[in-house]
Order: sequence, then C-alpha cells, then structure tokens
Amino acid sequence: MTAFKRAAGVSMTALAMSIAASAAMADTVVLTAYSGIFQENYVKAVVEPFMKANPDVKVEFYGMPNSAQMLGTLRAQVSAPQIDIAIMDVSVAKAATDEGIFAPMDETVTKHLADLYPQARADGVNAVGVTFDNLVLLYNTDKVKEAPTSWNALWDAQYAKQVSIPAVPDIQGTTLTIITDKMAGGTDYIQSVDAGIKRLEELAPNVQTWEPRPDVYQPISSGTAAIGIGWNARAQVYSDLSAGKLGVVLPQEGSGFQINVIGLVKGGPASESAKKFVDYALSPEAQAAFTEQMFYAPTNAKAAALISEKALERTAAGVMDKMIAINWLEVAKIREAITEQWRRRVIPLSR
Amino acid sequence: MSAAATLPRQWRNGELAVMLLLPIALINAIGFILPVLNLARYSFNKSRIGGGIENVFTWDNWAGLLSDPFYLELVFNSVWISLAITLTTLVVSYPIALYLHRSTGSWRTFLTVLVISPLLTSAVVRTYGWIAILVDDGPVVSAIKAVGLPAPSLMFNIKGVFIGLTEILMPYMILALMAGFGRLDPRVEEAARTLGATPSRTFLKVILPLTLPGIALGCLLCFVLAVSSFITPKLMGGGRVFLLATEIYDQAIVTLNWPLASTLSILVLIVFGAALWAYSAVLRRLD
Repeated sequence: MTAFKRAAGVSMTALAMSIAASAAMADTVVLTAYSGIFQENYVKAVVEPFMKANPDVKVEFYGMPNSAQMLGTLRAQVSAPQIDIAIMDVSVAKAATDEGIFAPMDETVTKHLADLYPQARADGVNAVGVTFDNLVLLYNTDKVKEAPTSWNALWDAQYAKQVSIPAVPDIQGTTLTIITDKMAGGTDYIQSVDAGIKRLEELAPNVQTWEPRPDVYQPISSGTAAIGIGWNARAQVYSDLSAGKLGVVLPQEGSGFQINVIGLVKGGPASESAKKFVDYALSPEAQAAFTEQMFYAPTNAKAAALISEKALERTAAGVMDKMIAINWLEVAKIREAITEQWRRRVIPLSR
Repeated sequence: MSAAATLPRQWRNGELAVMLLLPIALINAIGFILPVLNLARYSFNKSRIGGGIENVFTWDNWAGLLSDPFYLELVFNSVWISLAITLTTLVVSYPIALYLHRSTGSWRTFLTVLVISPLLTSAVVRTYGWIAILVDDGPVVSAIKAVGLPAPSLMFNIKGVFIGLTEILMPYMILALMAGFGRLDPRVEEAARTLGATPSRTFLKVILPLTLPGIALGCLLCFVLAVSSFITPKLMGGGRVFLLATEIYDQAIVTLNWPLASTLSILVLIVFGAALWAYSAVLRRLD
C-alpha cells in the first residue's frame, strides 16, 4: 500500500513537472473574436481541436462584444500588440487595414487562400473571410402559427407593434434595406436605396422596437415580439435552445451575407504559431466543424463536402444563387446616407 | 500659531497645501484631464469611410455638428428631456425626503435603507423590470385597458425612458435633498405656525426657502446623470429616442466614427459646464 502510494506520488510529481515544462514551452497565441455563444462554439469546434493537434501551442480566446471594441483594443496596442489574431466584421477589418494594424495575408500565411470563395477575399483588406452568415426571418412559433416564407411577413398588419428590427447603423438594418430595395424594384443599391426606404416607411408603424435588447433573439423567443430579423448562425443556436419557440426562415427572396474575416496582427507576439492557427481556421476540417457546431456557412469551398446534409440545410450554402452580393466596402461609403434616411424618413413614422 | 512656527521655513505660505494637493492633482491630471484633452484632440481628427481615423486638424466635425439640424435637435432634446426628468424626480422625491428628514429612530433607519436599496441593484436589472411592467401586454397597460380607458403605449418610446429614468434617479435626488435639509430646524416651522401661518404658507415661506440648497444640489446631480445616462434610453427607448449619450455610443461603437463621437462628448461636457454655472449662480443668489 505504501509502495503504491509512493509510486502514485512519484508519478504525480512527474506529471506535474511535465505539465509545468510543457506549459513553459507552449507558445501562446491570443485570438480575439466575439464573446458569448460565438466564443463558446468556436472554442469547442476550432480552438480545442487545434490545441489537441498542436500541443506546443496554446490559444487564448479573448472575447469582445463587437468588432468596434476589437478595433479599439488593437488601436490602443498598436505600438506593442498583445493580440495575434482577430476575427471581426469585414468593414471594420478594412478600417484596421487602413491603419496598418493587420499584416498582409498571403500564401506564406495559409495555403488555403486559393480554396476560398471569391466573396471571402476583399481588395484592400489584409484579412480573409472565415465565416459567412446571412440575414434571416425570425418568428415566435406561438404567435406566428404558420411559418412565413417571405420577408413580406414583416409588413403583415396582424403583427402590428410586434415586429423587432435592429435598425441602422446596425448592419442588420443595412442588410434589410438592401434586400427590401431589391424586392421593391431597386436595381443598384449603391446608386440609390430610395425604393427600399419607401417600402420601409410602410413597415415603420408595425415596429415595436428598433433596438431589441440584449439582442433580437431573446424578445422573440420569449414572445415579447412576434417576428423580426437576425443573423442565421445565432438564430439557429438560439432556436435549439428555445425548445422550439424561436422559428428561423431563410425567405424565398434570398438574403445577404455578413462576412467575418480573420486577420493577423502586425508585430503580434506569436507570429509563427499564429500563422499556424490562421491556416487551421481556414482549413476545410475546421470550417466544416464550425458549420456543424454553429451553422455559419463555410468560406472554404472544399469544406461543404465534409459537412452533414442536416447542418448544411440550416445555412445558406444550398441557395448561394439567391444571395444578394453585398460589397460591404462599397456599402461603408453609403452607410451614413442610409442612416440619415432611416432617421429622417423611417423611424419617425413609428412613434 | 505654534504649529506654523514649528514647520520648516520653506513650507509656509501655503506651500504645505500645495504639497498635500499635489498627489491628487497628479492623479486627476493623468486620469481625467489628459483623456479629456485627448478627446478634444480627437474631435479635430478626420474620420475615414468605414471607421478609420486620419490624424489631421480640421473643424469639419464641429461645423457639421452645428449645421446639421439632426444634431441640434439631439442637443435640444437631450437638455429638455433631462430637465423635465429632473423636475419630475424633484416633485416626487421632495415629500419622501421631507418625511424621512422628520422621522426618527429605527423607523428612519428602515426608510433610509428602503430608499437606498434600489442602488444595490444594477440599473440594467431595474430597467428590465420596468420593461416587463410597462410592455403592451404587461400589467400596467392591461389594468388601464380593464377600466375601459384607451391604452397608451408606455414602452419603447419617450414615455418609457421618462418613467424609467425618473425611478432610477429618485434615490440620488432623495439623498441630495436630505443632505441639503440640514438648515431645516423644526423649531422654525413651529415658530411660523404659532405666529399664525397656514401650513401652505409655512411651506412656501419657510420650508421651501430653507431647503433650496438641497434642491439645487439634487437637480444638478440628477440633470448630469440624466444627460449622461445611456443604458436606460437604449433599453427603453426602442431606438426611437435619440439622445446625446446614445448617439455617442452609436458613433463610437457601431458606426466607428470616433472623431464625431469625441465632438459630441465635448459638447456634453459643455452642457455640464453650463449646468454647473447655473448651479453656482443659484447658490450665490441664495447666499
């Protein structure tokens, strides 16, 4: 018995020493991306498998609530970066690139660049698409008996004061503007979204809140609102968590993509290991795993073959032809004008 | 006299005061004045499309702000809504503060704890509480409907912000009023009553003038808190109520226009400066 104890003690000490040694040797990569359910699922689907495959690299996930705060933090650290990698919205990544925060993203970083969908690459942005998400229609299954199939359901008079819309400057509002403009006969949203704004003026009296909090998913799940708009990936996860209360529909008219990109911070402390992680995050395996976990559509064209039919159905991957090509860098230029239109013409009609 | 004589010679003439004030002055300079100056500098930077910042010196943000009717309305709205909320808070808090001031013993302690207890809960939680109470199918609206009156929409508009902020600011107002009630001696009231003054006359001619310093302090505090509050307007305004604080948040966090956010922040500081000036003017007149 004592011999056993001693042996156990020795082995425990050896184990502790080896853990301490490997911890000391491990290269730490700091990744910043969205906190909350994105963090939970990304760590599970991508970060942990990566660390398992690369025991010498430790990835620390530093969650922040939105891209703007990531940019703020990266700005503050520009002379001595603490963060190696950022996953953020593409238009914010453009601003970060303009300020010299991101290192160039080329074949020396990842060999998967050639496999990415063209929408994942944007000129003048030193970061590439890592997730595609799309706007969807959300509804409360108690209040909306029959699943809607069209965006027009938002205009339905029976949902008066029951519609929840995250208004511009939130890009969910911007995406809705572009979709509505196309539905109302607009031909080029960069030139004018007037047709869409006119149609949104008719939606305004139906709206309960333009600022759903904490997000758009909770009030609809709980029945405070009946119908609204949100992002597909989060909606799918919350739908599963809501015990069937939150319904999610990709309407027949199609939708528009939101793109999260992954970028390498210039002068980050763990540049070689960080490159390794970026390469892994863009690999078909990691892309497929994250789609299975959280229903973001993959940006790597080779990933689709690895994803189950069941998960793929819950993304926009099967209806790529119906998606409106939104050039977010061009949209950034008209964003202020769209915001002004909403504030002067749309929102005042809902008071 | 003797203490001054024992001090080293070079510490006289107020040098000791300077020495004692130096640490806090330094902390304030680094922690407060420097960031404010930085903010002021940002307001002259140029914002690039998509959120970048160009380090130049331009008056564009200020000129844009002063020529855009949306922002002028924003300032006007913020000031009058905050003033109206402050006044309402004062009217509903004054009787409570007066009653508390007059009560004694453990009853007073109990009531004081009751007044302070909302401060122990986060304003976010209390705001969500108000949302549950005031939504269209909530208890308040249902009760109004039940008695046959036309049901107003109390949530996700200016009414919601008004109700929520008034309740959230009440503890601050009550505490400020009580702090300022020190000069209110019950014997003075008794004297007024024995000399034949009616209760309303006693209130208007004796109690009210004596409590004016507390009123001024409470109003200043609540006005400043109302102008700068953004969680409650964000949660209860339903995106329909545009105020300075919520706009600063949107510009800084959503649109990423930091130069404009800085310009608006400096504007809020100017509004605070005006409020402080008004407060000290009132105090001077009272003295």
